Amino acid sequence: MGDLFSWLFSFFFLIALLVLVVYQLMCLADLEFDYINPYDSSSRINRVILPEFISQGVLCLFYLATGHWCMSLFCVPYLYYNVRLYLRRQHLVDVTEIFNLLHREKKLRLFKLFHLIFLLFLSIFWMILTALDEHQ
Amino acid sequence: MGTENPGRQQFPPARPVATPFSVAPPQNMMPFSSSGPVVGSEASGFRPIPPGAPQPMVPSSTHVVGSQASGFRPSPITRFSDPSVPSPPTANVPPIAGQFQRFPAPHFPSTVQAPLSHAPPIGQPLAQPPAPPVSFRPRPQIPPVPMGSPPQTVNPAVPSLSAPYSSSDSMYQAPRPNFQSSFPGYVRMQSNADSQAPPIPPPFPTHQGGYASSAPPPSSYPYLAQPGGYVPHPPVAAPLGMQSRDQMQHFGSGPPSGSIQGLMEDFSSLSIASVPGSIDPGIDSKSLPRPLEGDVEPKLLAEMYPMNCDPRYLRLTTSAIPSSQSLSSRWHLPLGAIICPLAEAPDGEEVPVVNFTSTGIIRCRRCRTYVNPFVTFTDSGRKWRCNICSLLNDVPGEYFAHLDASGIRIDLDQRPELTKGSVEFVAPTEYMMRPPMPPVYFFLIDVSISAVRSGMIEIVAQTIRSCLDELPGFPRTQIGFATFDSAIHFYNMKSSLTQPQMMVVSDLDDIFVPLPDDLLVNLSESRSVVEAFLDSLPSMFNDNANVESAFGPALKAAFMVMNQLGGKLLIFQNTLPSLGVGRLKLRGDDLRVYGTDKENMLRLPEDPFYKQMAAELTKYQISVNVYALSDKYTDIASLGTLAKYTGGQVYYYPSFQSAIHGEKLRNELTRDLTRETAWEAVMRIRCGKGVRFSSYHGNFMLRSTDLMALPAVDCDKAYAAQLSLEDTLLTTPTVYFQVALLYTASCGERRIRVHTAAAPVVADLGEMYRQADCGAIVSLFSRLAIEKTLSHKLEDARNSLQLRIVKALKEYRNLYAVQHRLGGRMIYPESLKFLPLYGLALCRSKPLRGGYADASLDERCSAGYTMVALPVKKLLKLLYPSFIRLDEYLLKASAQVDDLKRLPLAAENLDARGLYLYDDGFRFVIWFGRALSPDIAMNLLGADFAAELLKVNLKERDKEMSRKLMSTLEKFRESDRSYYQQCHLVRQGEQPIEGFLLLSNLVEDQMGGSNGYVDWLLQIHRQVQQNA
Repeated sequence: MGDLFSWLFSFFFLIALLVLVVYQLMCLADLEFDYINPYDSSSRINRVILPEFISQGVLCLFYLATGHWCMSLFCVPYLYYNVRLYLRRQHLVDVTEIFNLLHREKKLRLFKLFHLIFLLFLSIFWMILTALDEHQ
Repeated sequence: MGTENPGRQQFPPARPVATPFSVAPPQNMMPFSSSGPVVGSEASGFRPIPPGAPQPMVPSSTHVVGSQASGFRPSPITRFSDPSVPSPPTANVPPIAGQFQRFPAPHFPSTVQAPLSHAPPIGQPLAQPPAPPVSFRPRPQIPPVPMGSPPQTVNPAVPSLSAPYSSSDSMYQAPRPNFQSSFPGYVRMQSNADSQAPPIPPPFPTHQGGYASSAPPPSSYPYLAQPGGYVPHPPVAAPLGMQSRDQMQHFGSGPPSGSIQGLMEDFSSLSIASVPGSIDPGIDSKSLPRPLEGDVEPKLLAEMYPMNCDPRYLRLTTSAIPSSQSLSSRWHLPLGAIICPLAEAPDGEEVPVVNFTSTGIIRCRRCRTYVNPFVTFTDSGRKWRCNICSLLNDVPGEYFAHLDASGIRIDLDQRPELTKGSVEFVAPTEYMMRPPMPPVYFFLIDVSISAVRSGMIEIVAQTIRSCLDELPGFPRTQIGFATFDSAIHFYNMKSSLTQPQMMVVSDLDDIFVPLPDDLLVNLSESRSVVEAFLDSLPSMFNDNANVESAFGPALKAAFMVMNQLGGKLLIFQNTLPSLGVGRLKLRGDDLRVYGTDKENMLRLPEDPFYKQMAAELTKYQISVNVYALSDKYTDIASLGTLAKYTGGQVYYYPSFQSAIHGEKLRNELTRDLTRETAWEAVMRIRCGKGVRFSSYHGNFMLRSTDLMALPAVDCDKAYAAQLSLEDTLLTTPTVYFQVALLYTASCGERRIRVHTAAAPVVADLGEMYRQADCGAIVSLFSRLAIEKTLSHKLEDARNSLQLRIVKALKEYRNLYAVQHRLGGRMIYPESLKFLPLYGLALCRSKPLRGGYADASLDERCSAGYTMVALPVKKLLKLLYPSFIRLDEYLLKASAQVDDLKRLPLAAENLDARGLYLYDDGFRFVIWFGRALSPDIAMNLLGADFAAELLKVNLKERDKEMSRKLMSTLEKFRESDRSYYQQCHLVRQGEQPIEGFLLLSNLVEDQMGGSNGYVDWLLQIHRQVQQNA
């Protein structure tokens, strides 16, 4: 039973992460099409960056703690990248250069998005498998 | 080449004749003899007339008729026949027609004619009997030479002559000048050739002037002039004479006369005959291209589209826009524009102001383009078609005017916006977010001990006081002051007070502004208080011993004072920020960082506080000018960020001492305060369908993808933008660009300055190169390279610059490599002849040069911030400064300033007996040669003559020479007021001052690890040839 709950928990975590990343992407797209100004855009993005980093870290540790070391391993590159950005103090979006970096930032977040979707499918798969296992 | 045949047939008759000359083996002659007639008979239409020819005499000659009418003129062959033919003087003109046609050459029985027409040739057979008769005739016959004989014939004749020619006797003198003048390149060549193989065949007939000197290999085939076609250039590496000379010559491409143009190659070239790796580059460095005339604005486009805005406002890197993406990817140079929206216009060319009070500003409905000279009116004047998006718009009733028969509005002459490329519209209220702001000046002045000691405060206070009358925008101008050391001092200058009140805030963590309303006051109301403050400011802090600097908090406080209105914030900073938010630490003295991946971090702001502040300041329309005056490291990299993103400027005065640098600070501050400034501006560049501006470079912040926010702009700022093609293929024949700057003028009027330009779309890469604008390209390159140093190592930035130049030249070479045998020549378009030199100068400029030891970090950063904002002319002057010898000019009373000639920037031009002036637009360096006559030095320096020059200030003395020098310097300063050139004096051999003031700036010399001009060219040439 505990296993199922751990999968459920990770599922919601992943959904939350997805929402955060998609939100950032939306802000960037809005900026690109001139719906919002760079100040608002970057402050909105910067507001959710730390929550994203933290919840991702928690998720990774959670997988490790619950013994799903394979899933944890999948999370590690993402975590490493985030930590590296943070240590270099490059994790926040720079409002003055945002237009020059727009392309890069968008690509980066799209990669994150695909990574998360991949994890999401995996976790759904495991969740269903666990549910079926326990059912029998 | 059918033409060859006739030529060869002719040959036989000539050959026997030719043999007598031991010098000229028949083999070599052949080409000429053949080419002569051929050309003559065929292509009378394209015979260029040698410019030097005395045309007036033409009509007088008798032969002309016969020989010319049919298009023949005496060909060199005649000459050959001469010796054998004992010159029957009488035979003269009347040749038999038939014979004529068949053998144009031999039939010149007219010895007379022959010698005359080929005066020089005749020199060869000097000793021959025919000579005497010749001597009578020369007179009448000279004329035919220029006229009847196209240069082709002349050409061959001349070189083959070379050896004897020089010794030719007086009787041929008359014609000779002609030849000389028409072949400028020839003379030198001849003397060279003398010593070695005389038989070097003459160059290809068609090549005029300088081209003549590129020696063809002896074996090479006759360079027959193919009518109208190119004449292939011979590979330069001429085995014979040329190579041994190992010379690199610059062939000017200026054709002597217009008609020749069609025959000219349309590229310029340098022949590099040296073998790679040889010790002696063997280059005649004197003939290398140098921009000694300064910057030349491209004229072609202005002629093509006379309604374009002046190039001082907008310059495209190439005036021919590529028609497809594949074409633009082969153009390896940057594609873009340099925009200087408020450039100073000379008197009489001011931008006209248009006020559409009744109609509102006419703009395209869809793309928002402003009405401009390129829009077309249709439907009998009721509609207009936008030139950028080609949408049909309605003409508002009040703006309606009838069209005349040719479709032109009848009121055209009263509509500057339809005739001029640059206009200024008065903007109605829809263009205002708030009422137009008044000009606001806020001064934030460092009063810590080092500032007091340097004397900066006094100069600043005096200068501001003297400028109070000239601040733009009277009577609305507002002004305010704050000073800081470890605390922040505000000054209440309410008009009701007689003396300013000082308020000290020392809580740096939680800044608050006392009396926010009275800190920024109207200048005209509080004039007396402001003056009282400025008078007392220097003495107020005289005994201040505070060494700290609470710069960050002070900046925040200034922001809080100003954010209601915006305006200009002038920061005078003398100490590294050490307290409160935004404090910085010493960095940049770590030698080990250089050359590593972290090197670029030194050039980036250390604390994100500065970027955030810059963004906030821009948002509230505050522009920051930083005056950094420290003698120690002040982290310009961080401080400069403030100026970069707010449309400001960085002034850097290393080790400021009021006695030495005071004048410079005074002048530049005055300029900053009094020049016409545009406030709360935004700028957008629109361009036609299919192209898009993809990146922008300069001091500003982007507010949306294509909107530059410029809290303050003035005439000394230029911006660069790069263009990219969106569509794979452009279908329109013309692309239009429109720069629109919406701003508040100092008088309180909201205005839109619009510059419109058109450029043709081309499908030919060669045309793009032909129309390239070297100044704009270098300008854009320098911005890109400087930006690259922020994310990469210096070396990488230099290498990528070099690589792009090489790629561009390689692409250009490939264009011509097929049709022409290029051999070892380095070819480049005439328009880009200075590109390699400027590229070198850029690599040697302060932001990019060398490594750790070659320039201090602060100097690098401040130069970088300055260079990204410079207009084209100013930047080119900085890259390749003018270098002038003064002593002779000073000694000669009659000499005028205009007579001064710019010299190449190489130490070899320094003569120990001379006095030289180096002027890069930012400073003068006057170099005193070791053997300079003491008289001059005494006259200029007076008693300081023997003192250490570094500490001597050049001032006017009661001597004619001194006055003359000072007035000359003043004249140079007047030509561009944006910066004040401070005078540095240096004596030859005074190291290390001489080294860093002058020698390291002589870009053509080898210096440290970097190349000199010659080596640089060779290196580029070698890279171009690799896998070419």
